Amino acid sequence: MPPLLEVSGISKRFGGIRALEDVSLTVGAGEAVGLIGPNGAGKTTLFDCVSGVTQPEKGTVRLKGRRLDHLPVHRRARLGIGRTFQRLELFTGMTVRDHLAVAEREARGDGRLWKDMLWRGGLRSEEIEHVDAMLKELHLEAVADAPIESLSLGQGRLVELGRALIQQPALLLLDEPSSGLDSRESAELAGVLNQVRATRNEAVLLVEHDIDLVQAVVGRAVVLDFGRVIASGPLDEVLSDPAVRTAYLGQPA
Amino acid sequence: MTQFLSYATPGLPYGCVFALLGMGLVLTYQTSGVFNLAFGAQAYVSALVFYACNADGWPKWAAFLVSVVIGAPLLGLVMDRGLYRFVRTKPVLVKLVAALGMLIAIPAVFGIAFPSANRYSPPSIWLSPSVVYFHVAGDAINGLELSTVVLTAVVALGLSLMFHFTQAGLRMRAVAESPGMVQLAGINADRVGMSSWMLSSFLAGLAGVMLAPVFGNLQPLNFTELLVAAVAAAAAGSLQSLPYTFLGGILLGLVEELLGGYLPSGHILSSGLRPALPFVVLLALLLFLPGLRRRWQGARDPLAGVNPPPAPLAAAVRDPGLRRVSLAGTGLLAVVFVVSCLTWISDAWVFNLSQAMALAIVFLSLVLLTGMSGQISLCQAAFAGVGAFTAGQLAAHFNVSLLVGIVIAGVVAAAVGAVVALPALRLGGLALALATLAFGLLADNIAFQYSWSGNGQSGISIPRPVLGPINFQGDRAFFCLTIVVLALCIGIVVAIRRGTTGRQLAALRGSELAAASIGIDPRRLKILVFALSAGIAGVGGAVYGSLESSVSADDFNTLLSLVFVVVVATVGVYTVEGAVEAGLAYVVLNTVLTSPGVPSALANVLELVFGIGAVVYVLHPEGAVEYVKRLVLERVGRRGTEREVLA
Repeated sequence: MPPLLEVSGISKRFGGIRALEDVSLTVGAGEAVGLIGPNGAGKTTLFDCVSGVTQPEKGTVRLKGRRLDHLPVHRRARLGIGRTFQRLELFTGMTVRDHLAVAEREARGDGRLWKDMLWRGGLRSEEIEHVDAMLKELHLEAVADAPIESLSLGQGRLVELGRALIQQPALLLLDEPSSGLDSRESAELAGVLNQVRATRNEAVLLVEHDIDLVQAVVGRAVVLDFGRVIASGPLDEVLSDPAVRTAYLGQPA
Repeated sequence: MTQFLSYATPGLPYGCVFALLGMGLVLTYQTSGVFNLAFGAQAYVSALVFYACNADGWPKWAAFLVSVVIGAPLLGLVMDRGLYRFVRTKPVLVKLVAALGMLIAIPAVFGIAFPSANRYSPPSIWLSPSVVYFHVAGDAINGLELSTVVLTAVVALGLSLMFHFTQAGLRMRAVAESPGMVQLAGINADRVGMSSWMLSSFLAGLAGVMLAPVFGNLQPLNFTELLVAAVAAAAAGSLQSLPYTFLGGILLGLVEELLGGYLPSGHILSSGLRPALPFVVLLALLLFLPGLRRRWQGARDPLAGVNPPPAPLAAAVRDPGLRRVSLAGTGLLAVVFVVSCLTWISDAWVFNLSQAMALAIVFLSLVLLTGMSGQISLCQAAFAGVGAFTAGQLAAHFNVSLLVGIVIAGVVAAAVGAVVALPALRLGGLALALATLAFGLLADNIAFQYSWSGNGQSGISIPRPVLGPINFQGDRAFFCLTIVVLALCIGIVVAIRRGTTGRQLAALRGSELAAASIGIDPRRLKILVFALSAGIAGVGGAVYGSLESSVSADDFNTLLSLVFVVVVATVGVYTVEGAVEAGLAYVVLNTVLTSPGVPSALANVLELVFGIGAVVYVLHPEGAVEYVKRLVLERVGRRGTEREVLA
């Protein structure tokens, strides 16, 4: 039985910069793994390689044993990779409910043009139920029908999370969900994430700087620095690793 | 070799003009982020002023001073201060619509200011065209050609000196490189933008005055088509390099004349391909020049910030009660409209209103494409033409009833739309707009000239249909048919909007990356919508053609495509009602302004209204009618709540 996600030997350059150098990691089904490292370590690039936004020069990405090379973003999404973005990517002009509804319909893959033409493209009752349940789970009921532009950053992140979660992906990539949030919002987010982890069985790969949030969610972590994996293992061990401390805090004098 | 040279030399003056305009485009695009499609119109204005001054007996240097040295930069200054500086950070679509509005409004303003009709043989800028100065490879070089080449060389040299050795030139280059950093360094990018507008408008004015004598008379349309050659030149410079743009322009002029020399004369390919060459070159550059493609795939304008969200639609601020009331009101209006047309309205007006409804179908295709999916097409008239000619040819050769023909017309236009979209959609934004513009010009200059399609100027006839006992020959009967087709098309668009596809489109417009991350295939969706939109335009074209009974290539020319975009954007591109209202507004205004008894100068008012309307689009993307509706509904709503409070 192959692991859910298997990244092996990925390298990616941007011009003269080595963003990723021979990076490998695995995420088991239902497991939560932290991906940490200083700014510019290549975390988001790795996410982009996994979700298909960019193609690595070398190495492979496998999901449930299946190679994903050259599959475009939307195909990988349909295979079960959901993600959020470090810089919010929301659908301007749509309400929160619409965000979830479009993702819900997409996950079921039964939206067809001819159905629209026959006036059968409206939301069905079970879809409305799913959307309402997700709104409730993320405590977004109060803003369900608000236009997305009127939301706070924290709420926006929750909408992104809900949009990914409602598709019940096998693997959820969370790219710095707490960036830009204050400590109270960040703690709330940790609560929601834990609640989600407790009730669902999505695997999570979490990029995060906020160590409290990482500790609250993941058990295992991989540390990147200058595009290389410098440590991996149980979170406590990784955090006390001297190489990791150097990477984060600089060389002790 | 001699023959080659003698074919090539007449192309040099053309090349010079393309190069000047192209450099103007690159300059303003780099420093202010606006791709100014209105340069053609500005060239026309300078030529017009130069002509008028000469006709009044001014000396040439004075006319030149007023039209090119002072007038052209002044026009550029007014446009920048009054409009373009406000659209810098807006989305590509808004910038394009603003520039299109100017393209249409500027000639209209000057048409009203200088109302006399025909202007033949515009004067040369400097040396007389009838004097031959010397021969190159047996080809006589006259004063017109000589003065064009010499002046262009002087200007090019001056520009190059300015960019390398003066403070102003250095600043312009710096702003083009990185507007943000330049601001930090204490240079006012806005000021630099302003001077680059004046400089490039000067280039446009110079190009216009030099080229006018070649055309033989002053027609705004000639200058608009001239612009495409300039766009091709700018594309050769990847929209950033002035030297390559210059070179591209010159080469284009030369190759155009060479083709004219070597292709057999009298054939459609030589009469059509020569004027269409710039568009072919532009398309080829867009599709195959890898650097340019990569640049435009990034699809970021130098100055564009994050796209601001579209303005809230009137629908969003209505509460459900008001929504129901307005829906019922719209329905009632529609019924009153149809019943009136069938009873008391005169035959002539029933015909006009049928035109409006047929156009509304074409406009509906823009609501789907631009309003719902945020793409732009500058060739909807060409798709309408494809539909009309398909239906007409089917009726003529295979005796296919028009009722079937309309459907097939839609399918054929959709197929053509998909073919256009396939390569162009990789580009997106500005590149898509330019590619569709090139396609539209190719269609009306070449494809519609053949007897198996539009048969050129003479056109083809399209019969009105007969369905069993029902005869649609009469204007009132045909009006009913138009309304039915329009209603069906509205049904399709509304069904798409409320269904899966509509939600996918809304998502895609919001964020392509996020849409893909939830499993939406952006490419497939865009091609689908582009094809659907082309299909609807084709249906509209077939209905329009059948209404007119005979149509020619001129009925679907590219200028019309541009006008369509501007009209729909003015009235309301985000709603289905907007398309119908746009059709009504356009036809009613057109009919009233061109009716006997109205002074002919007022015919330009139509263009002026919609040109200015495009400027309104910058402020109110939801369109004028939607904006007014919202004001009214808000007022009604407020009064309603006040009454509740009082009670």
